[in-house]
Amino acid sequence: MGFIKDVQERFLGTKAMPGAGLVSEDQVRAALSQVIDPDLHRDIVSLGFVKKIEIRGTVVACEIELTTPACPVKDQLKKQAEDEILKIPGVAKVEVSISAATRGAQGQKAEGITASLGRVKNIIAVASGKGGVGKSTTAVNLAYALSASGSKVGLLDADVYGPSLPQMTRVGNPRSSEGSLVVPPVVDGVSVISSAMFSSAGQATILRGPMASQIIKQFLTQVAWGELDYLLIDYPPGTGDIQLTLSQVAPITGAVIVTTPQEVALIDVRRAVSMFHTLKVPILGVVETMSYFVCDGCSKQHDIFRRGGGSRVAGEFGLPLLGEIPLDPSVAADSDSGQPSVCHHPHSPAAVAYKSAAGAMAAQLSIANSQTGDALMSFSLDWK
Amino acid sequence: MIMTGEDTVQVKKIWQQDERTLGVEWTDARTNLYDVVELRRQCPCALCIDEWTREKKLKSEDVQDSIRPVRIESVGRYAMGVRFNDGHSTGIYTFKLLRQLA
Repeated sequence: MGFIKDVQERFLGTKAMPGAGLVSEDQVRAALSQVIDPDLHRDIVSLGFVKKIEIRGTVVACEIELTTPACPVKDQLKKQAEDEILKIPGVAKVEVSISAATRGAQGQKAEGITASLGRVKNIIAVASGKGGVGKSTTAVNLAYALSASGSKVGLLDADVYGPSLPQMTRVGNPRSSEGSLVVPPVVDGVSVISSAMFSSAGQATILRGPMASQIIKQFLTQVAWGELDYLLIDYPPGTGDIQLTLSQVAPITGAVIVTTPQEVALIDVRRAVSMFHTLKVPILGVVETMSYFVCDGCSKQHDIFRRGGGSRVAGEFGLPLLGEIPLDPSVAADSDSGQPSVCHHPHSPAAVAYKSAAGAMAAQLSIANSQTGDALMSFSLDWK
Repeated sequence: MIMTGEDTVQVKKIWQQDERTLGVEWTDARTNLYDVVELRRQCPCALCIDEWTREKKLKSEDVQDSIRPVRIESVGRYAMGVRFNDGHSTGIYTFKLLRQLA
């Protein structure tokens, strides 16, 4: 035996170990069950993330499917899985591939919204208590950051009184329909619908209605959103009629609250938090915009609107702080020219902060979805 | 104010138990049966309960025992709406209210 072992080592370059070539799938599964998802606090085997295990002699290949392509701990999980498998005696090489299939909330959707939203896995409200905090900029950049990570994303501009997404994305008007549904135009991979598209006289007939709420309802019932991992809704500021309609018509999976750091903004955040709480919409976290300004002359962080408001309000309600986005003149310029910063200046501090916020948001969404368990997202029952 | 306990309870199953009884199973494993006639009598809408004084404007005897829902639908993630065969459909029964009524 000693001789054979010697030869193997010398000629094949592999170390023969006890049980070499006899690595079992159970061993690999046991090793992978040591890898814990830091967000969901459970191991990746019991979460059902391990999709395929292939053993070829001393080489183990496995496929791990995460709940979102925007997973912020993707690389960390991959590394841990590799390390754990390599600990198995007899394994010389490991190939871990990571894929993602976004999981949505469970349950049947009510009939009225099936045609329009039936294949939308997650609907996210991007809201703020007051205007001017950079909510639309945040919605656009979160949407494009998720899209860049490989998700199918839609963006609905529900700010009927001040629609700004057409300017920020250069989106045109819808040109086709699917039966009675309007097909949203796609810009750089993201499907976009805005009330601005229907405000010109020629097209007002597609979505008429005297009430802002009625228009909003049509965006959720008359638009062919198709298959989406995430539909982000840019809410109008405040806690009024449209916000209530949105939350009544669509089963919102989670809400992101946008705020600036100063105290007066936070008073309104508390109102928004309380609204979503009443409507039983889980709040995924807080994004603080205009957090600081980095001077190009001195590289110092200047806290123009005071410091730490977002983290204070997040702490107050026990919410995660998803990101602190610095003031960056390029963000304003990109918004004006219709090129979201995460695409146009992907390495700028603001774009990096937005991308990290998008990953944190997707992670919180996976947590929220895992907690709703077997709840019906929506239902309808005809009495007989 | 992260949602915990009672705040996170949602509908797991909803069905017509018999001719005038609605069944709801909640995500905390509780199951409740509701008399649909009583649900109509307890309607929380502004037509049935005065918004300012919270005084009940709908009298129990105003609701016939023959009243039935036509359709029951979820409202967002926090409530259900019921359209009754007398045309009344403005009541939004929050899950919180439904669990109190049980």
